[in-house]
Amino acid sequence: MNNSSTVIDVRHVTKTYSMGTMEVQALRGVTFTIAAGEYVAIMGPSGSGKSTLMNVLGCLDRATGGTYLLDGVDVSKLGDNELAQIRLKKLGFVFQGFNLLARTDALKNVALPLFYAGVSAKNRNQAAMDSLAEVGLADRARHKPSELSGGQQQRVAIARALVNDPAVVLADEPTGNLDSKTSAEILALFGRLNEGGRTIIMVTHDENVASHAKRILRMLDGLIVSDAPPVRSEAALP
Amino acid sequence: MMHIEEALNVIFGNKIRSLLTVTGLIIGVMAVIAIQVLGSSMSGALNGALGNMTDDSFIIFPSATQANAVKASVTRTDLVQLSALPNVKLAIPLVAQTDLVRNGHLQARYFISGDPVEPFNNAPLQFGRRFTQEEIDAGRHVAVISDRAYKKLFPGGGDPVGQSMYVGSHRYLILGVLSTPKQGLIQTNFGGDVSAPYTTLLRDYVHGQRIGAARVIVKDSSSMSLTEVAVIKTLRDLRGNQRLEYNTFDKAQLTKGINSIFGVMTFVVAFIGAISLLVAGIGIMNILLVSVTERTREIGVRKAIGATRTQILLQFFIEALVLCGIGCGIGLVLGLAIGASVNSFAIVKLTGYAPPIPWIQAAVTTLVFTTAVTIGCGTVPAFRAATLDPIEALRYE
Repeated sequence: MNNSSTVIDVRHVTKTYSMGTMEVQALRGVTFTIAAGEYVAIMGPSGSGKSTLMNVLGCLDRATGGTYLLDGVDVSKLGDNELAQIRLKKLGFVFQGFNLLARTDALKNVALPLFYAGVSAKNRNQAAMDSLAEVGLADRARHKPSELSGGQQQRVAIARALVNDPAVVLADEPTGNLDSKTSAEILALFGRLNEGGRTIIMVTHDENVASHAKRILRMLDGLIVSDAPPVRSEAALP
Repeated sequence: MMHIEEALNVIFGNKIRSLLTVTGLIIGVMAVIAIQVLGSSMSGALNGALGNMTDDSFIIFPSATQANAVKASVTRTDLVQLSALPNVKLAIPLVAQTDLVRNGHLQARYFISGDPVEPFNNAPLQFGRRFTQEEIDAGRHVAVISDRAYKKLFPGGGDPVGQSMYVGSHRYLILGVLSTPKQGLIQTNFGGDVSAPYTTLLRDYVHGQRIGAARVIVKDSSSMSLTEVAVIKTLRDLRGNQRLEYNTFDKAQLTKGINSIFGVMTFVVAFIGAISLLVAGIGIMNILLVSVTERTREIGVRKAIGATRTQILLQFFIEALVLCGIGCGIGLVLGLAIGASVNSFAIVKLTGYAPPIPWIQAAVTTLVFTTAVTIGCGTVPAFRAATLDPIEALRYE
């Protein structure tokens, strides 16, 4: 991580939900930085606050306290529309359930963020095609999600996350709905993208999945309890 | 525009639901457009039928229900006074008489009207000419006959000009024949079947001072109603009795009467339209709200990848607009089809007139419906979609 620039700088971030009269502290003061080009897994049991952290990192939710600099921009105090712009320009989301638009073909799904960014139809389609090629699905551009396998759908979703050339790709249990063989393909794709310089943050509860990352943040009860590279039990494997 | 394309995808992705959703709107618009077309046809047909009636003169006659009806009767001397009024071109006696008209052994009872140079029925002629001022001044026995009388008295056809016929005991020279009026099952015939100089009829049929009614031809028809008041005042002054009652009748009054009937009809149509709009709008709003709930997750995804509230709002609003637009469009086409077919099967047969379809009026109605229903029932669901919390929306199963 040496000299590379910091894309995520989280300091003393807290998040409190009020459930009626009770207050739930989902994050109790989280501090860490992630540099450009890193591949980080966030792990933890349910209720550890990893999803909350993901929502804050993904600018879907605002922290209650602390500061969060994303690519140099303090996003802690931004309004809804500004957060939407940040999500549009700096973040790419990959979800567990793929979340593609069912009625729309792969190319249009991938082009959707560019539509919201106001890119012309011609440039949209070109960029979406490039992005699909990057995930190896250029020949499926005109297929609808229902005509694609789970692995292919997730690759389309990854292509959609990449199309805006985001600073960070956020993946929330990206292999949760896939069988082990397809999961391996998707993880290999993430590995390749990271080799190519993409910053990837992945939330998972699966040690095997997390072991593909280069760094693992372990959470428990709203705090980061460990920050270390994965223990390569099968160090021989690439 | 991608929003429109997406809206069409959504709408055609679930054809039956979309169709059922807009059924109320289709029926409402269809009914309003059909009634609009028919209303305009009927008023157009009636105005077309009245088209040959002159609009530069009015008829004045004493009210028959008053005690002084005889005293109020218009006399020959009145006409001279009335003709001197400003804006009055000419006041002539209204002589109208039913009499037996004969050509050889062919005969029929017809309505004979006494006309000046400007006839009450100014339909074009198919043969000959109208009578001249000179013939009126001389009180000649000359006549212009209607197409109906021509067909009855001259069944062999041919130009009857220069031939003669008997009206009562007098022999008349035929000068001209009016052209065939457009006529359906409802007879519209203004003026008599035989038109002769009023001077001739006055001499042959009216004896004494009292004529009864008069026809007043004005110079400027736009101030006709003022002239009517002036004429009534003059008649009262001449008799020194302000309580005498007179009635007037002109084309403007007739048209006004017809138009007020259609005004009531328009109001009824607008009322039906408003109710069907309300009912259709409630149904559409309900389905749109269901649609927003069903697509909560999609909305979450769109927000996660960077869609702003405005963009989501626009998407659902455009969806509502396209849905309502399609519904109103179908309603417009069906309404025009119904209106046009009733038009050609009934109105044309009844009156003989084929009035034009009110395209612009129908299009404006449809646009108003589309806009009103879209704004009325698309705003709330679109706003609900736009303000969904992205985290909640993404978690929605």
